[in-house]
Amino acid sequence: MAYCIRCGVKLEEGSKACPLCKTPVHLPEGMEEQKQQPLFAQNLPSKGMGGVNKTRKGVIELIVSLLVISELTVFLSMWLSGNGSQSFIPLFSIAMASLSLILAFSVKPAYTVQASIQCLLVAVYLFGLDAADLKISWSLIASPAVGVGWLYFVYPFSRRAAQKPKTAAGVCLAGSLAYLALINLVLEHSLTWFIPVTLPVIATLLVLLGLFGLWFSKRKNKRVPLADVVLATLVVLFGTITSLDFFLSGYQLGVFTLRWSRGLLGASFVILVFLVSVSVSRRVRRYFTSHNRHT
Amino acid sequence: MKIRVQNYAPEGFIALDNSALIYPPTEAVYNANTFRVSLDLSFTIKKEILEQAVHDMLERCSYAKVSLHAGFFWYFLSPNPKQPIVHPEGSYPSGRFSFKENNGYLFKVLYSEHRIALECFHALTDGSGAIAYLKLLVERYCHHADIADFQFPGGLIFKARPSIQEFSDPFQHLYDKTLPSYPKISKAYHRKGNGSIDDRVKVISASISTKQIKARAKARGITIGEYLSSTYLYALQQLQQQEVPVRRRRKPIRLSVPMNLRKIFGYETMRNFTLFAVIGIEPALGYYTFDEIAKEVHMQMAMSQDRKRLLSQIRRNVGGERTPLIRFAPNMLKNPLFKLLSDYLGDDQYSGVISNLGQLELPPALEGVIRRADFHLSPGLLNRVALAVIGYLDTIVVNFTSFLNTDTELERLFCTFMVEDGIEVTLSTNRETDR
Repeated sequence: MAYCIRCGVKLEEGSKACPLCKTPVHLPEGMEEQKQQPLFAQNLPSKGMGGVNKTRKGVIELIVSLLVISELTVFLSMWLSGNGSQSFIPLFSIAMASLSLILAFSVKPAYTVQASIQCLLVAVYLFGLDAADLKISWSLIASPAVGVGWLYFVYPFSRRAAQKPKTAAGVCLAGSLAYLALINLVLEHSLTWFIPVTLPVIATLLVLLGLFGLWFSKRKNKRVPLADVVLATLVVLFGTITSLDFFLSGYQLGVFTLRWSRGLLGASFVILVFLVSVSVSRRVRRYFTSHNRHT
Repeated sequence: MKIRVQNYAPEGFIALDNSALIYPPTEAVYNANTFRVSLDLSFTIKKEILEQAVHDMLERCSYAKVSLHAGFFWYFLSPNPKQPIVHPEGSYPSGRFSFKENNGYLFKVLYSEHRIALECFHALTDGSGAIAYLKLLVERYCHHADIADFQFPGGLIFKARPSIQEFSDPFQHLYDKTLPSYPKISKAYHRKGNGSIDDRVKVISASISTKQIKARAKARGITIGEYLSSTYLYALQQLQQQEVPVRRRRKPIRLSVPMNLRKIFGYETMRNFTLFAVIGIEPALGYYTFDEIAKEVHMQMAMSQDRKRLLSQIRRNVGGERTPLIRFAPNMLKNPLFKLLSDYLGDDQYSGVISNLGQLELPPALEGVIRRADFHLSPGLLNRVALAVIGYLDTIVVNFTSFLNTDTELERLFCTFMVEDGIEVTLSTNRETDR
């Protein structure tokens, strides 16, 4: 039998390390011990069974109990007061609130998981409220809006989006386009303004973004000053709004013209000229510096 | 004193005993409310013979042939017509109980090559009750295997008719509503431990020579149980010193020590009949040497065993059960509240548990055959390390059960203190460091 040189405890035969301080057991050659019968018949499994702990279980059970009691109370009071037919919305609201709380306590406490579940529940809740009169109308726009919100405020924080940011940006854009098409379909029952207005405006946005991206990526050391980013964003924003005015007038009046965005176009042009002149002046300055000559 | 007549025969509806009421509603991951007692024997255990022994045990102790059900107001027991299952031993003791996989029984019989183990859900019985079941089981096993016919000293007699006391709830007999209720105590220090946890029960088992520990305890004028409790408190004090450097911010360190009330009140029940002595020190007052702790523990243990104090504790516990608001509240409301308040009413008040089953008295026929005896408690989320002690022949086994994956600091301080005190400690474990 070996002793732990640090703790002084005796270790059972065949021990490889002290269970208290993990100090390895070194026995002289030829004196190695055979492992005795293990403490239990099987080795410790690689992970535990898991499950919901006592406090969480208590909170969930309490919510369920209060749900049952409040549902019964609300239903009976409305039914007895002759308003039973209107009891769906309060009953549904209580059930959804309880479900939301239960899921908040029972699933993994991570932002993306929790926010995704709550977004889904809000979307279902909006559908449910709208369907109270057995007709679905406004929820066809409101519920998917929650989905678009999820695309911009939850999805980018997921592991998958972090691994493939370009794909994530594409997904966000595609989701937004799909939502706009859906709004058009719900309101007009066909794609009226989506094709002549939305698609060209988005195309303008992408082109402007692409051009600036290309310009900035060619910068030396790929270092872009914050001021340039802000000014470029303004140009993209003003340009896109101008294109919206342009295509919207084409769709509404049949004539492509700028009605209210001339000022924006002018402003974006001035900013662009400023950006270009700053860039040119930088290049000129760099050209005439000793640092540039040597390189 | 008001005496309530108890159901003797287990038929239909059997109310849980007072201290069992808290266990079913609070059962969850990290709160298994189970414990295990086991005996290792020199011969190979055969499943078929063990099944016969279990059958005999249930024939003698028909009150254990029950399953747990959730009623409208309380959980209750009812006779279980299903056959008990004998399970092969797994990788760790005192894990969560799957009643479904166990045909609804509140105890689980396990076996390995040389071991017979009995794992119990606390709603059925306490450690002393489980030891009585295990003794009967081993006795019947040896009988059927033609090894020996013997009877454990003080154990249940197989051929005797069960006495009416065996399935009574003495707490109800001893309840006296005229007594003042036992006061609630403040929050105690809890050690979180370092690193991750999971619900696998990691065991470090320390075997100690009874002679050596007895000599060290006797030198200080205390019992072996008190010596072990003092060592536990001493180790916790050292850990608290590292964690909380400011002295006045140190919370009291207390231990919950289950006391077997059978001898004190003269009941021979097979249900739960245990109260907890809460003993401890106040580190905010200053550093305690081991001898000071031993003195405190000795005094507090003596005070805790005082009949009058115990009756006051029973008054508090049973009084709670009999409060109309609790009594008539539906189970669906009581269950979550018990889960949320159980820490506040129980685990919060102490920093650790040390349960000592005492010396296992063996019949002469078994003395040469027994290899080892064990007792394991399930740890909790608040107190992540639990200590269970049992003695057999000339050895005392101290089993540390823990949810902590890598942190063994408490165990290390406990064992190294004993080594420094001149006691030889032999360790074995199911932790991965040893495999």
